[in-house]
Amino acid sequence: MAEKESTVFILDLGASMAQTNSGRKESDLDWSMRYVWDKITDIVAANRKTLCVGIVGLRTDETSNKLQEDDGYENISVLQELGQMTMSSLRSLQSSIKPSKTLSGDAISAIVVAVDMIDTFTKKLKWTRKIVLITDGQGELDDDDLGDIAKKMNDSNIQLTVLGVDFDDPEYGYKEDGKTSTKAANETTLKNLVNECQGGIIASIAEAIDELDTPRIKSVKPYKTYDGPLTLGDPETLPAAMNINVERYFKTHLARPLGASTVVVTSEQAGGTQSTHTLDDDGMEGIEFSAVKQARAYKVNDPDAPGGKRDVEFESLAKGYEYGRTAVHISESEHNITKIEAQKAFSIIGFIPWNKYEPFLNMGETCVTYARKHDAKSNLALSSFIWALMELESYAIARIVTKDGKDPLLVLLAPHIDPDFECLYDVPLPFAEDVRSYRFPPLDKVVTVSGQTLTKHRLLPSDELTEAMSDYVDAMDLSTYGIDGEGGSAEYAPIDETYNPAVHRVNHAVKMRAVHTERPIPETPSVLLRFSSPPEDLIEKVQSRIASLVESAEVKKVPPKAKGRRQRETAKPISGLDVDALLGAERKGRVSEANAVPDFKRALASTEEISEIEDAAKQMGTIVRSLVTDSFGDSKYSQALECIGVMREELMNLEEPGLYNSFVRDLKKSLLSGALGGDRRDLWFKIRWSRLGLVEQEQSEASDVTLEEAEEFYKSR
Amino acid sequence: MADKNQDWKREEDDEGEQEIDETSFKAQKDAVILAIEVSESMLTAPPPSASKKADRDSPLEAALKCAYHLMEQRIISNPKDMMGILLFGTDKTKFQSDGNGRGGLGYPNCYVFTDLDVPAAEDVKALKSLVEDGEDDDQVLKPSGEVASMSNVLFCANQIFTTKAANFGSRRLFIITDNDDPHSSDKAATSAAAVRAKDLYDLGVTIELFPITRGDSSFDLSKFYDDIVYRDPLVEANLSAFPISKSGDGLTLLNSLISNVNSKQTPKRALFSNVPLEVAPGLQISVKGYNVLHRQTPARTCYIWLDGDRPQIVSGETTRIAEDSTRTVEKQEMKKAYKIGGEYVYFSPEEQKSLRHFGSPVIRIIGFKPRSMLPVWASVKKSSFIFPSEEDYIGSTRVFAALWQKLLKDDKVGIAWCIVRANAQPMLAALIPSKEQSEDDSGTPYLPSGLWIYPLPFADDLREIKPPAEVSQSSDELKTRMRTIVQQLQLPKARYNPTKYPNPALQWHYQILKALALEEEVPEKAEDATEPKYKAISKRAGGYLEEWTEKLEEETGQVSVSKALKREADDDGPDRPAKQRRAASEKPSGSSLSLAQLKLAVESGGIAKMTVALLKDVAGARGLSTSGRKMDLVERIERWAEENA
Repeated sequence: MAEKESTVFILDLGASMAQTNSGRKESDLDWSMRYVWDKITDIVAANRKTLCVGIVGLRTDETSNKLQEDDGYENISVLQELGQMTMSSLRSLQSSIKPSKTLSGDAISAIVVAVDMIDTFTKKLKWTRKIVLITDGQGELDDDDLGDIAKKMNDSNIQLTVLGVDFDDPEYGYKEDGKTSTKAANETTLKNLVNECQGGIIASIAEAIDELDTPRIKSVKPYKTYDGPLTLGDPETLPAAMNINVERYFKTHLARPLGASTVVVTSEQAGGTQSTHTLDDDGMEGIEFSAVKQARAYKVNDPDAPGGKRDVEFESLAKGYEYGRTAVHISESEHNITKIEAQKAFSIIGFIPWNKYEPFLNMGETCVTYARKHDAKSNLALSSFIWALMELESYAIARIVTKDGKDPLLVLLAPHIDPDFECLYDVPLPFAEDVRSYRFPPLDKVVTVSGQTLTKHRLLPSDELTEAMSDYVDAMDLSTYGIDGEGGSAEYAPIDETYNPAVHRVNHAVKMRAVHTERPIPETPSVLLRFSSPPEDLIEKVQSRIASLVESAEVKKVPPKAKGRRQRETAKPISGLDVDALLGAERKGRVSEANAVPDFKRALASTEEISEIEDAAKQMGTIVRSLVTDSFGDSKYSQALECIGVMREELMNLEEPGLYNSFVRDLKKSLLSGALGGDRRDLWFKIRWSRLGLVEQEQSEASDVTLEEAEEFYKSR
Repeated sequence: MADKNQDWKREEDDEGEQEIDETSFKAQKDAVILAIEVSESMLTAPPPSASKKADRDSPLEAALKCAYHLMEQRIISNPKDMMGILLFGTDKTKFQSDGNGRGGLGYPNCYVFTDLDVPAAEDVKALKSLVEDGEDDDQVLKPSGEVASMSNVLFCANQIFTTKAANFGSRRLFIITDNDDPHSSDKAATSAAAVRAKDLYDLGVTIELFPITRGDSSFDLSKFYDDIVYRDPLVEANLSAFPISKSGDGLTLLNSLISNVNSKQTPKRALFSNVPLEVAPGLQISVKGYNVLHRQTPARTCYIWLDGDRPQIVSGETTRIAEDSTRTVEKQEMKKAYKIGGEYVYFSPEEQKSLRHFGSPVIRIIGFKPRSMLPVWASVKKSSFIFPSEEDYIGSTRVFAALWQKLLKDDKVGIAWCIVRANAQPMLAALIPSKEQSEDDSGTPYLPSGLWIYPLPFADDLREIKPPAEVSQSSDELKTRMRTIVQQLQLPKARYNPTKYPNPALQWHYQILKALALEEEVPEKAEDATEPKYKAISKRAGGYLEEWTEKLEEETGQVSVSKALKREADDDGPDRPAKQRRAASEKPSGSSLSLAQLKLAVESGGIAKMTVALLKDVAGARGLSTSGRKMDLVERIERWAEENA
């Protein structure tokens, strides 16, 4: 469990916070709140009962706190008592964050109020306690009793952080000119207070806001994936077998972006189509959402039922597996019969040298293994194992079953040694079934039909290209291009500086939207796109090498139009035989249902006049209609879809999208009206799903259909 | 585990995303028809031989066994894909069995042995009894007197594909024959076959030829098959010729055939097509991505309806309902929202889309690093293989080859920003070159030459490690003994060869299913090639392990003594948290007494007042024997304290 944590934010809402300073466009309050909202939404997003927040307003118009009986506690209001932060408390807080009309209110008193709140709430229990004061330092302070207050905070173990608007901060390198004497005095007072507090921090809020740009990484508790012996040899038959007690944890684990849920507007509000419209305009304010659940209906094939399918009750179903298309029923009592009963184990199979392994064989996430704590013997044994692997530059291959009954997995174990840390890293390996044997032509030679091997060919790089590539690759070396903490050179884009753009983009937008429902979604923070292109100054430096690379590469883009045609012209068997010439005259231009696709393609290939294309398209259209009409249920839908798809593609290639468009318009009408042998709406859904609707201008220049029209065509029924 | 389940579900979603190819209206499925010639020569068994390893299968037997092997394998690896078996040159004639169509009349001497479909248990059984038991009651394997018309065979295949596998993304006809010239004297028949072959090409069916030869005979493609077979015009000449299957060199005809067919087993489906690879600003080429590595898992359980004549797999249909009112929800009504603080934060569909959008697909190289800079632990996901394509940019192949050569030569990797599909999550990846080499000098001879997109972890993917506080390094002697063991136990050919390790869980799953489906006996014990070869280990390294263990025991004794001393030194310091001390004392090596305290106790005689349990603890922590009565313990500790003062 994460630590229990309670934080009280003291927010200075004095009239002076409404000013705009130092050339900023926002008021000091809005600017400071950037930091506060970010912190608070982080807390809201964490959704933890033991992560509590209280908010105290300083220099508010009203006074409302438990100590207000006493002198000096005026203009301090508790805006929110300590407790879990929710979206609704966040919203009610928003309405109370605005500058007041007063200038008075004592920040030190506010700290006392906050200390009292924390003491009351956390009692003597184990909590992390924090107070964050945000102020412009313009209000009067009473600097008596500072020592007592600091002592009280130290006793209660409370950390104080003071973030000031335009406070001087030599470390951050900021000094405000023309500071009022009150502010200067207040800064000194607060500094003295912080210095007396253990773990106290005082800084300019500018620094805190700057840091918001660096994505924060969610820390996750270590997850133990295995705890038990690591063996070499069978300890049961071989007494001297290696048998080391180890623990294994995740080293890498894929972080995923926040998942979006599918929701609908709750029924009371979904009175009609109107409400969905207003929703788009007003954002989410005041509208309640409800989660969407899935319900499943089950069907089986039944030749006697209408449409060839009928519903079955879920209760009547049993579980099983498919073997090919055969259903294999497995009764409840035997449901584990297909599971291999492996025993928990982590055992070495053998060893391989480093240079005989390629990292692209890795199948996934890495784990780390070290000896069990406080077990001297295992520590020593594992140490000798790790060192032996290191000295021999070898990896071990091991079989792991993380728990009894889990499936066995093979992993590669690699040694790692730091001055004060030794461990094994492991990555999962592929099994025989996981490697697909695809064949690819060689990249360093060309073999011709006649079996000749060529080393000079347009598919192979020329000497100039090889050289230009080599120069370019050398010039773009990143191994020392980065900058380390001291300004020296370091690796560019090391792993711990790269943030997952998808994860943080969503987090950023969700947090923003939670606070400011009315604002458009923010731009992608630039830090997330830092590694999306090569470093600009490096590119500038190597510009001439890039130029010579481009020149010797002689790469030409294929215009989109030429693509379809190129394929057609070269369709000849290996022998180069002109097959079309063999064709009897009687088959020319005729499209038969049995051989529709080849006939249609051939008919189009031999056309010379538009009328002939029209004729072929018409024949194909007739075939599609007859396939649909004759289809029993959906039995011939796939055939029809194939014909439709081929027709669309071919007519687009011939720049006759109009012929297809009129066909598909007509087809849709017939399908929806039931003119083709009954209810054929499900085929129309399939056409929609396959995006076989109207050809629009983007797809073919010759089309007179706009993108909007094409989209509308899919939607309307 | 709920957590695991979730991950698994997400994985599925990701895969689902991958399958969607926006450019194609076709179903992403594969259908293969094996066309096997039945003729006198195909039926002729090899000459008898005394050798145990000699081939006994006739070419036809080998082809059928190969088909059986393929069928079993595809049920595991491609459970949704179709397969059919067409025998040609048979005396008998049979077209599809469902009566749909014109019966067998149109295709004499063609016998559809297995309908093109996802194989069912009966299909496996029928093929098995033909192959293993040689049962051919129907005389299916009897050749007709004359050669089958190839144009008929091809059109028969055409019709099966057209009706049974309509709109499939991949359709392939595998022809297994030993006859390189079926229509030697009949020019018209050859032409007719060429026309039918063109039909298949236009239909999108690929013909793969698996020629069989025997002895010194050869298979001359130019006699007939060069008119039948087409090659991808874009890859042009650069593909090796059809591998010829023959027995010899210690390989049976069957094994040779299986290896040739296996290499074409999986249809070469691109994971992504024609994604620009930006080698440098202003230099783009196009590449295709392939899923060469893919974790194969058993298919999920499904629901089965048992009330009919035979068990039937149920198809499910999902409707979406609102949680509060259980009314059905239309697609247009649904919105996307993120849950935060117990409420939803809503985005319009356009906004939601733009949150996921990081630009159009690209693989952009941002620089290069030495390969040694990749930490061995930097792994999160499997890699994809990329290979150049000339479709979008002419010259892609030579630029790709130049890059590949350079990276191989200097042992470097490219670092690239990758968005491989529209709206895919961006990732940083290393581009690592692979080289297909002769068996011996490459770690991965079973993999092709090209580049791999190796996904690198982001900082977000790293987990904190809380290592043990103290490291006890072993002595050089102990390390040396372990080194000998490691050297003794190298894997064959000093590399990890995945083909030697079938997934035991997967194999077992399908073995049981097959037994149940065919109503055969369920095997008792699973074969598991991943289990360590214990006998070999103990034979080759047993003695060295003994030596190592001996040394380990010896050093462990020393360490616990020195550790105890070290701990005492630590204990003299101020606040050591009490809890840790307690945890430590649970072990025999722990003790709550510091050396200083102990000395004091010895001098003052206070040691005699300690309980036996405490004394044992103290003695144990210092590596002393804890046996005997109280007085023995006290004496032992006093002696130790004096010696270590």
